Amino acid sequence: MPTSPEPIPLLSATGLVKVFHAGGRAVRAVDGVDLSLAAGEVLGVVGESGSGKSTLARLVLRLTEPSAGRIAFDGRDITALDGEAMRRLRRDMQIVFQNPHSALNGRRTVGEAVAEPLRVQGVARGAALDARVDRLLDQVSLPRAFRHRYPHELSGGQKQRVCIARALALEPRFLVLDEPTSALDVSVQAQILDVLGELRRELSLTYLFISHNLAVVRYLCDRVMVMREGRVVEQGPVAALFAAPAEAYTRTLLDSVPRLPRP
Amino acid sequence: MSALLAIEDYHLAIPTFDGPARVLNGIDLALEEGETLGIVGESGCGKTVLARTILGIGPDRAERKQGRILFEGRDVADLSARDWRGIRGVKIAMIFQDPMTYLNPLFTIGRQLGDAIAAHARAEGQARPGRAARRVRAATLLDQVGLREPERVLDYYPHQLSGGMRQRVLIALALSGKPRLLIADEPTTALDVTVQAQVLRLLRDLVETLGLTVVMISHDVGAIAALTGRVAVMYAGNVVEEGPTARVLARPLHPYTQGLLAALPEIDGAIRRLSGVPGTIPSLIDPPPGCRFHPRCPRATALCAAERPAMRGADPAHRVACHHADLA
Repeated sequence: MPTSPEPIPLLSATGLVKVFHAGGRAVRAVDGVDLSLAAGEVLGVVGESGSGKSTLARLVLRLTEPSAGRIAFDGRDITALDGEAMRRLRRDMQIVFQNPHSALNGRRTVGEAVAEPLRVQGVARGAALDARVDRLLDQVSLPRAFRHRYPHELSGGQKQRVCIARALALEPRFLVLDEPTSALDVSVQAQILDVLGELRRELSLTYLFISHNLAVVRYLCDRVMVMREGRVVEQGPVAALFAAPAEAYTRTLLDSVPRLPRP
Repeated sequence: MSALLAIEDYHLAIPTFDGPARVLNGIDLALEEGETLGIVGESGCGKTVLARTILGIGPDRAERKQGRILFEGRDVADLSARDWRGIRGVKIAMIFQDPMTYLNPLFTIGRQLGDAIAAHARAEGQARPGRAARRVRAATLLDQVGLREPERVLDYYPHQLSGGMRQRVLIALALSGKPRLLIADEPTTALDVTVQAQVLRLLRDLVETLGLTVVMISHDVGAIAALTGRVAVMYAGNVVEEGPTARVLARPLHPYTQGLLAALPEIDGAIRRLSGVPGTIPSLIDPPPGCRFHPRCPRATALCAAERPAMRGADPAHRVACHHADLA
C-alpha cells in the first residue's frame, strides 16, 4: 500500500504498443497498456499464451523497442535512453527467466555466472568480487561451495536460485520475474516463492511478476493486471479482484483453475 | 472380477555408466474397467516410465527385473513388437503432453484420422473402408471430441489448429480404435488454463458416455483432482499412497503427499504460508535404504532407514507406505 498521498511510481508506462510484423500481417502484441508500479510493490501480470504479458515485460526493460508509448523509471523518461545512460540504468532493472536450464551457460561455473554482471559493470573485482559472490549465494540460500559447480550438477530449483543471485548482483531496485517457477516442481516452486518473498522484504525490491498461474500470483503479488490479446482486461488488488472480478474473462480464467478437495 | 490392468510387484532398472538406476521399485496397481486412475508425482518419480512401460514403449535398454503387467489377464511386459500390434493403439490408446509432436505436419487431419480408421478396420479383418466412409467416420470422431465444424477441420493441417484443438484431434485418434484403456500422459500440461479446463471436461464426458478406462499421469494435482476417481502418489520409483482421489487429497496420510499439498498455492480461501518439501529427490542409482523418502521426512526414525514400509491402511481402499502414518 502506498503511504504518501501521491508517490512517484518507480516504474510507469503509458500507451505502450508493440506491433510485430509476421507474414505480411501486423500483430499488436501489446496494444495500449498503461501501468504503474510503486516502489516496494509486487504487480502480477496474468494472461494466457499470446496475451502479450512477456512482450510487456521486455518492453518495460527496454529489451524490446516499443512501437509507441512512454516508459519512465524513477520519474525519468527512459523511452529513448541509449548508450552509457542505458547501460547504467541496467543496474537498476534485472530479469529472471522461466527456464533456468537455458538461462545459464553450461561452460561457466556458478561463481562465474553470478560474478559476470559485477565484472561487466566494473563494480568489483578480486577479493571484493569473491566476497560479493559469497554474499549473493547466501541470499538465495545456496551453499558457498556451489560457486565451483557447473549448471549440469544442479537441480532446476538450484539453477533458478543461481539466476536470481545473478539478477541481484548489481543491487537492482526492480526485477522482472518472467514465469520464474513454471518449469519447476511444486515443492521446489514453494521454496523459490519463499526466497523471492524474503528478498523483497529484505532488499525492498519491486517486482513485475509475469505468470499464467493464478494461484502463484495470488500468493506473491499485491496487485494484479489481467491481460488478453495485448490489452488490459482489468486490474486491482489481487485478493479483492480474484474474490470479485468485474470482467467475464477474469471470471472464466478463475473458474478454469481446478479446485482441490478440502478436508 | 478380474482387473483390466494389473501391475504386480513390477521392478525396472535402466543401466547407466554409474550402475543400474532403479526407476520402478516394486509397483502394485490394479485398475477395473471404467475406473479413472491418476498417477501423480514430481519429476523423476517414475510416473512417465511407468506409463510408457504399460504401453510397451518403455526405455530401450531397460532391464525388467521382476514382476508382471497383466492386461486383460495376459502378461504384456515382454511381448514382441508384432504381438503389441493388436494391443497398442487399439486396445490401449494414448495421448501425450505435446499434441503437435504426435501429428504429422504434412498431412491433413482427415488423412491422418482416415489412415487410423483404415488400419483399425484391417486389424479387425474388415474390408478397407472407402474414402467417403472414412471421412464420415473421421467427422463423427471429431464431433465426439467437441470440435465444431468437423467437416472443415478434416481439411486442416495441424499447424492451422490451436493447441487445444490439436489435443482434441489426438483424443479423436486415440478413440478411433475403440480402446478399452486410455493412457493420458500430462494431457493438459502444455495448454492454457481455460483450454485445460475444456479438455478435462471433454475427458470426463468421454469417461461417462463411453465408459472409458483411464490412467492419467500428471504432476498437476488439480488436473488429477478434476478427472480421476482414484489416485496413486509416486515418489522415487515407489507408489507411496493410493486411494480415492477426493480422500487422498483432502486427508493425505503419507508425509510426502502432505508435503506436496502444503507446497501448493490455492486460488481461493485464506492465503497460508507455503512449505516446500525440504531436500531434493534421491539418486535412483544409489537410493536411500528402507523408505526412499526418509532422508527428507519430518517423521523419520531408525526404522525408516532399516526397513521398507509395506502398503497398509485402516481402510483397504486407502493405503499408505509409511511406518509412522496416522491410520486412526
